[in-house]
Amino acid sequence: MASVASARWLRVSCGLCVPLTARRAGPCGRTPSSRFYSGSAAVPKDEGADTAGTEEVVIPKKKTWDKVAVLQALASTVHRDTTAAPYAFQDDPYLIPTSSVESHSFLLAKKSGENAAKFIINSYPKYFQKDIAEPHIPCLMPEYFEPQIEEISEAALQERIKLKKVKASVDIFDQLLQAGTTVSLETTNSLLDLLCYYGNQEPSTNYNFQQHEQTEELEEAEEGDNMKSKKKAGHQLGVTWRARNHAERIFALMPEKNAHSYCTMIRGMVKHRAHTQALSMYTELLNNRLRADVHTFNSLIEATALVVNAKFEEKWNNILDLLKQMVAQNVKPNLQTFNTILKCLRRFYAFGKLPALQTFREMKAIGIEPSLATYHHIIQLFYQHESPSKGSSLIIYDIMDEITGKTFSPKDPDDDMFFQSAMRVCSSLRDLELAYQVHGLLNTGDNRKFIGPDPRRNFYYSKFFSLLCLMEQIDVTLKWYKDLIPSVFFPHSQTLIDLLQALDVANRLEMIPQIWKDSKEYGHTFRSDLKEEILMLMARDQHPPELQAAFADCAADIKSTYESQDARQTASEWPANSLNYIAILFLRAGRTQEAWKMLGLFRKHNKIPRNELLNEFMDSAKASSSPAQAVEVVKLANSFSLPICEGLTQRLTADFTLSQEQKEALGDLTALTSDSESDSDSDTSKDK
Amino acid sequence: MAAPSLPAWLALQTRARTLRAFSTAVSPVTGAPRLSPPTTERTSKHERAPRRKALPPRTEKMSVDQDWPSVYPVAAPFKPSAVPLPVRMGYPVKRGVPMAKEGNLELLKIPNFLHLTPVAIKKHCEALKDFCTEWPAALDSDEKCEKHFPIEIDTADYISSGPSIRNPKARVVTLRVKLSSLNLDDHAKKKLIKLVGDRYCKSTDVLTIKTDRCPLKRQNYDYAMYLLTVLYHESWKTEEWEKKKTEADMEEYVWKDSASEKNILETLFQIKAAEKNTELSKEELLSTKEVEDYKNSVVSLKNEGDNENTISQYKESVKRLLHLM
Repeated sequence: MASVASARWLRVSCGLCVPLTARRAGPCGRTPSSRFYSGSAAVPKDEGADTAGTEEVVIPKKKTWDKVAVLQALASTVHRDTTAAPYAFQDDPYLIPTSSVESHSFLLAKKSGENAAKFIINSYPKYFQKDIAEPHIPCLMPEYFEPQIEEISEAALQERIKLKKVKASVDIFDQLLQAGTTVSLETTNSLLDLLCYYGNQEPSTNYNFQQHEQTEELEEAEEGDNMKSKKKAGHQLGVTWRARNHAERIFALMPEKNAHSYCTMIRGMVKHRAHTQALSMYTELLNNRLRADVHTFNSLIEATALVVNAKFEEKWNNILDLLKQMVAQNVKPNLQTFNTILKCLRRFYAFGKLPALQTFREMKAIGIEPSLATYHHIIQLFYQHESPSKGSSLIIYDIMDEITGKTFSPKDPDDDMFFQSAMRVCSSLRDLELAYQVHGLLNTGDNRKFIGPDPRRNFYYSKFFSLLCLMEQIDVTLKWYKDLIPSVFFPHSQTLIDLLQALDVANRLEMIPQIWKDSKEYGHTFRSDLKEEILMLMARDQHPPELQAAFADCAADIKSTYESQDARQTASEWPANSLNYIAILFLRAGRTQEAWKMLGLFRKHNKIPRNELLNEFMDSAKASSSPAQAVEVVKLANSFSLPICEGLTQRLTADFTLSQEQKEALGDLTALTSDSESDSDSDTSKDK
Repeated sequence: MAAPSLPAWLALQTRARTLRAFSTAVSPVTGAPRLSPPTTERTSKHERAPRRKALPPRTEKMSVDQDWPSVYPVAAPFKPSAVPLPVRMGYPVKRGVPMAKEGNLELLKIPNFLHLTPVAIKKHCEALKDFCTEWPAALDSDEKCEKHFPIEIDTADYISSGPSIRNPKARVVTLRVKLSSLNLDDHAKKKLIKLVGDRYCKSTDVLTIKTDRCPLKRQNYDYAMYLLTVLYHESWKTEEWEKKKTEADMEEYVWKDSASEKNILETLFQIKAAEKNTELSKEELLSTKEVEDYKNSVVSLKNEGDNENTISQYKESVKRLLHLM
């Protein structure tokens, strides 16, 4: 494996590209090896040629490699440590994050520290001039954000454009025009670029970060699939193209416009959702007999698809028209063109399936290599809105067959959405083999990079692991559990419940205390549904004594978490089921003291014990021959007015020998109950 | 001037004292809500959140047959939660034991080689084999290496963690060559040895030239080669003033024209004169075997110094010469 990989990095040097050491070759002309040099410089007689009787010393040519080849070779000898947290965190038991919220906040804290440092350096650049880095590291030096040129000139305008100061550059431009100087076409074009990119607003410092988040929200909102959410998403994005803003004004003021100006305007309008205006600008461009470039066409395709109030066929025909015009203007489409088309076809639901396949074939025919985003769009198109009755398409299998074993490089911003959608499809199809194939693709070469940010990665692994719990043998599932959790992702409580059910099916309930211990570590201490599931599984059947003891320990632990939760909150949160299960587990393990304390808790939290529980208590009371406890049980049952109270009382009188007070107390109780019943029970008060 | 400041200082003191009193009064109050039952007034969120607990060390999760080079792939400080060995280090105080590994500064201070276990080194070597070329088949012994490549150059590169890759120690170049592989006759060799002085080691016959006067390694290498060239050529030349070499300049003892030769010749002549045997000339005397022996023994005594062998040899030769045996 190492040799195969390293073949990429090595180049055997020919005589031309000699490294530094070889430049010092002696005059005898032999390429020297790294350490030994021929002594020809000092020896007058010719030592370089072969002396008679000895074989020729052939020095092999030195291999050359790029700067990181050795590191990559050494890195290929190590693998991921499955017990370690991701390397970005400090490796200390106190500082490892225990949930995805924590890991997100830790990374943000780290980044905010870096930003704070950068801010200080940029605010006081005169204190940070000393540069000890060799070779020079430009990104560690202070940056200058204030424009240096003060007078009104074109150079000042260019500087402000470079520093991305929208308002200042527009001001200077206006001043230049008022002063009468003409601004060159290049500069005006770059000003238009700036304005169109930022939508006539000043870019904020975390502009790029926000932008990415907002486009993600928009995508997910669209997948919610209704117009309402789209409108909401529109409000969230916030930067819309207003009419008569700076860009349009400056565009109108330009004495001459070239293709670049039009293209910039079109792309800016589409980016800020002024689709109809973009299309009209395009007709202007055509009227001026100019040609658009491929990026503009990509934006126009998007604009055509997003125009409201048009039918799908009409939109598709418009897109085809645009493509024909592209051919007529001799503009070659690129990967983005096809990806944009596929993305827009997603909105057409079922209508878009056939055109999507046509687009894909066209792409292959032209020779453009599809990226992961292409496949993502196709998957979304075919699997997003299908109804179960129609049956699922099998295109995912074709896709996986085609891309298995390939390594991809980032070509499209949507590349990192592929794995999420692929795993979602595998999960809905319940196909484990396919999931393994997808996971294998993820681990090929450098494809790990495409897993995406944290939420997507968690989604991918949650789905993967749930599928494993559902379909795979328990030993393999447990191996994956050890491998993935918690070093790769923090599971939801639903994932853990799936795992517990898998253990249940495979009859491996002895792992439950271990799972509980692990889940406490990553933040599930207070999840009541998980705890109830655990308790239910433990309490359902009888087990051998050691296991029972382990279960009772686990139950005691869970009980203590409930208590500590109680201590923190004013409203107590003991679910009835938990109380039942914990009591049963204590009884079965023989921890009767604690079990009897549980009875008190029932009364305190006003929860109703189950019938089996009360029967078990009676059994235990009988086993320890204490009528007092039995009377307790009956009292409890009575206070809740349970129907089983009758049966319990009878059992009490039958099995136990009661003292006088106890009988009296019992009589009181039964009298109370009998008062609510028919008169026939009045003679039970004979003992009073 | 001092007067108004003094009351101010006093006021500050009292204020500080009250402040201190206040702060000490406050702390039991803040401590109390933690102990009091939870149904009291709502305390701040900070006090309600439980203290962050440390996770159990991840050594508990490590399996016995795990891949250790993956846990410590590079040089890293000692992490007690990641090393599953019960290591102890420290001076045991008064009938105690050395301190355990948790929080042990001694274990952090020393360099650890946990990333270079034999398994790891073997794997690294396997991976690095692709970067190496084959050793030339003809160079299979040290003598052949020396024969074909008599000059050896030593350079060192330094790396350290820090923003700069430069290290001034990296410019040093050491050139080593055996004088036997250079083409020098007797005079040249002696002259060369006189020129280099300390840099020549007599026992191993190695000339070592260490240069660091230039700022760059390649410049130092060029300078060292230049020095070797110059020394070689200079030692072959004979200057005018070398003819004035006196006996004090000689590196080794030469018997011809020495005081010992004169002495022995005088002695022999005196002996011969006493015996009235004057027909032998100087050359004939010198060519006799005893005088040869004597000459050899004196030369070896002077050159090699006093040891058993040389002294006994001298004794024998003197005895033979003076016919004392």
